[in-house]
Amino acid sequence: MLVFKPKVGRTAFCILLFFLFFALENTLAANNRSPGTEQLAAKIASVTGPGAVSIELENKSSLDNNQSDEIRRQLLSQLASHGLRFVNQDQAAATIRVTLSENLATYIWIAAIQVGNNPTAIEMVSMPRHDSASPTLQTGTITLHRTLLWTQAAPMLDIAVLDGNPPHMIVLEPDQVVLYRYQGSGWEQQDAMIITHVHPWPRDVRGRLVTRKDHLFDAYLPGVFCQSGNRTPVTLNCRESDDSWPLGNDLLNLNGFYASTRNFFTGVLVPGIGKQSTVPSFYSAAGLPRAGYILWLFAATDGKIHMLDGVSDQVTQAAGWGDELTSIRSSCGTGWQVLASTRSSNSDSIRAYEIADRAASPATLSVDFEGSVTSLWTATDGTTAFAVSRDGRTGGYEAFRLSVSCIQ
Amino acid sequence: MRRFVSALVVFSSLIQVAPCLGGTRPRYGGTLRVNMQAALVSLDPADANSADPVALDEISHLLFDTLVRLDGRGNPAPGLASTWRSDSGYQRWSFTLRNNVRLSDGTILTPQIATASLRSVNPDWRLVASDDGITIEVSSACPQLPMQIALTRNSIVQRDSGRLLGSGPFTLSSWQPGKHLILKAREDYWKGRPFLDEIDVDLNRNLREQTISLDLGKVDLIDLAPGQSQRTTSEGRATVSSWTNQLLCLVFRNGNPSEDEQKLREALALSVDRKALASVILQGDGTPAGSILPNWQSGYAFLFAPSYDLRRARELRDEVHLVTAWSLGYNGTDPSSRLLAERIALNAQDAGLRLQTSMTPNPDIRLERILITSPDTHVALDDVARQLGLPMPKLTGASTEDAYQMEKALLESRRIIPLLHVPANHALAGNVHGWSSQWDGGLGLADVWLGTSRP
Repeated sequence: MLVFKPKVGRTAFCILLFFLFFALENTLAANNRSPGTEQLAAKIASVTGPGAVSIELENKSSLDNNQSDEIRRQLLSQLASHGLRFVNQDQAAATIRVTLSENLATYIWIAAIQVGNNPTAIEMVSMPRHDSASPTLQTGTITLHRTLLWTQAAPMLDIAVLDGNPPHMIVLEPDQVVLYRYQGSGWEQQDAMIITHVHPWPRDVRGRLVTRKDHLFDAYLPGVFCQSGNRTPVTLNCRESDDSWPLGNDLLNLNGFYASTRNFFTGVLVPGIGKQSTVPSFYSAAGLPRAGYILWLFAATDGKIHMLDGVSDQVTQAAGWGDELTSIRSSCGTGWQVLASTRSSNSDSIRAYEIADRAASPATLSVDFEGSVTSLWTATDGTTAFAVSRDGRTGGYEAFRLSVSCIQ
Repeated sequence: MRRFVSALVVFSSLIQVAPCLGGTRPRYGGTLRVNMQAALVSLDPADANSADPVALDEISHLLFDTLVRLDGRGNPAPGLASTWRSDSGYQRWSFTLRNNVRLSDGTILTPQIATASLRSVNPDWRLVASDDGITIEVSSACPQLPMQIALTRNSIVQRDSGRLLGSGPFTLSSWQPGKHLILKAREDYWKGRPFLDEIDVDLNRNLREQTISLDLGKVDLIDLAPGQSQRTTSEGRATVSSWTNQLLCLVFRNGNPSEDEQKLREALALSVDRKALASVILQGDGTPAGSILPNWQSGYAFLFAPSYDLRRARELRDEVHLVTAWSLGYNGTDPSSRLLAERIALNAQDAGLRLQTSMTPNPDIRLERILITSPDTHVALDDVARQLGLPMPKLTGASTEDAYQMEKALLESRRIIPLLHVPANHALAGNVHGWSSQWDGGLGLADVWLGTSRP
């Protein structure tokens, strides 16, 4: 039986993150190794044979200088092991010009080899590209932290982390839910569960993961509800459903009905906010506990922000806000902040805001993303949020944990 | 950063000119109004005689699907086929069809329909329909078959008494060949309904009319001729450039040139000042090319770096006693083609060659604009050879080195002189979002949505 221990403390979590970053760094370093050098050296040596050669290396690829220097070092070492000696061009029996190039899918290393007056011989090797992105952070008086959890090429709709021993991570994709286990050196896939659905997903497919106490998780997708089992191997039962989706977390109980062929909520709320049970169709919502009531903010499909308190619906334009909102609990400011995506010309950012007397004021600096933020949900306990972004350059997806702190 | 990387970054920014408005989700609804220069008279993706394969390709993506599509890295991904596999020799391939895909008339897509569609385009293939898919047998090992299947000409089409039925995101609502078409979004599209309700396309519109219509807010998306994009951008309009997915080249009508003819063709290749063509006539919209495929695609294109060497061209010309006069044909409806042809003729004269622009039906040399239809080097080379009627070199393997050898053989045939790699350019209104440039210069309109802000 899969058992998840109660949530560990924040300090332990920070230690875990440290090791995660360490593991990620090692993985990236491993990716930078150059398995093609041996192969290319053998090909070059088969043309030149042992002897004195001159060699030039040019980098036309996206590899940085450190990486190309490392490849050069490894290549020279491999060539030397084949009996090649490196001399100036005027003393060389052969001249070798190596170019590090690339196309969309592979790195291509090409050697143009001139031996005497023979025609130039071309030798090349190719190997898959391993592109990666590194996170950046910005800080302010109150700090919005962004921690990279996971990257993958396939679309990610949502992500959740189960702090336990070992920690687990759940990734919601359009067609499967993948469960990962932390194994000291990194995340290892434990299970992949297929999401069955009859109707096609809408083009801008969205989804939400909600971790549960009596079973691992629920997954909400357009017109489909999936519930996991709580034993290993983890099972997933999906059914066509028009059930409402949770909009908040354990502390903010509000559900909304999702338009299963579109990318927004219909506006029908359960159990409602006081006397209010409808709001214009919206993309996202954020709840802020106040004395005696909860103020809910909705990013409506007409681009406006609706603030509902159970009695009134105040509409504002909230200049610069995007369509993704959620709320987060912290020990800073009023104790709850709204996280909102912000509009920019090319890439998105997320910023925390305080809402005082129905007016939003920035509480932190913006955290920038490489592309567009496609998902932003509060975690079950409300102290963190999970964001997914799609890198406009690589097309890959990145998932982040967001938290707010008052400590620099 | 190196210049190459910088170029990639610049490129990335080009295709991101009109992405999703930051922080906002796509909006549903609205009609996208498009102007095209092409006067398409057929929407059949298998029409090999189309006068404008680029435009045909763009429209085909909206009406039809292929069994295999290409993902963001150019790798094969499931399309109408959910899975596929081959035998160990890559000669027999089985594709399993996705369930419950419907054509635009509501008919369920069957293996028989897919088989008939592919057979009409690939008479050399042996196609057999099974219960849940199709099997394709080819005469020699073809590890790239899924990439070939992804070509637009292999779109699955039911041809029914002149009607073309497809499974694409849009269906044809109105069609006046050569003039106008209206495409309507399909609610039951297997990949999700497009955001737009309709696309209204005016065909055969000259570029000047298109620009005026965009300025007046009467249209949302227009073509830009090569050389127009920089000026259009400087005038404050949003422009989008695709990958450099088109090759401007000279193609000789006659194969098997004599030794003298080969020297003259080499002299012509050396006499063309490609940098001037790119910078002066195309205003920076092209990249000098000595290869068929651009470097972003092959990774080895720099090995075929073009050279402009008038002295060597004259030497080669002087080695030939009888210099024949060539006629150079070009697309008369494209103003930039005429300018390019005239400049090439002048360059040739500088080398002592006799080259005359001509509108005769069968010129000795044609100035061609070739669409590179696949990111796969082998498939792209095969398709370029097919488009130009060139003999395809024998395929020896699937490696990058094999592709290099294929391209080298094509170039050494002296039937083709690459000139420039150019992108497809469009200008768009400020309310058009969600644009993503496709491999083949397609518009990707199924993902486009209209915002509220009009220019």
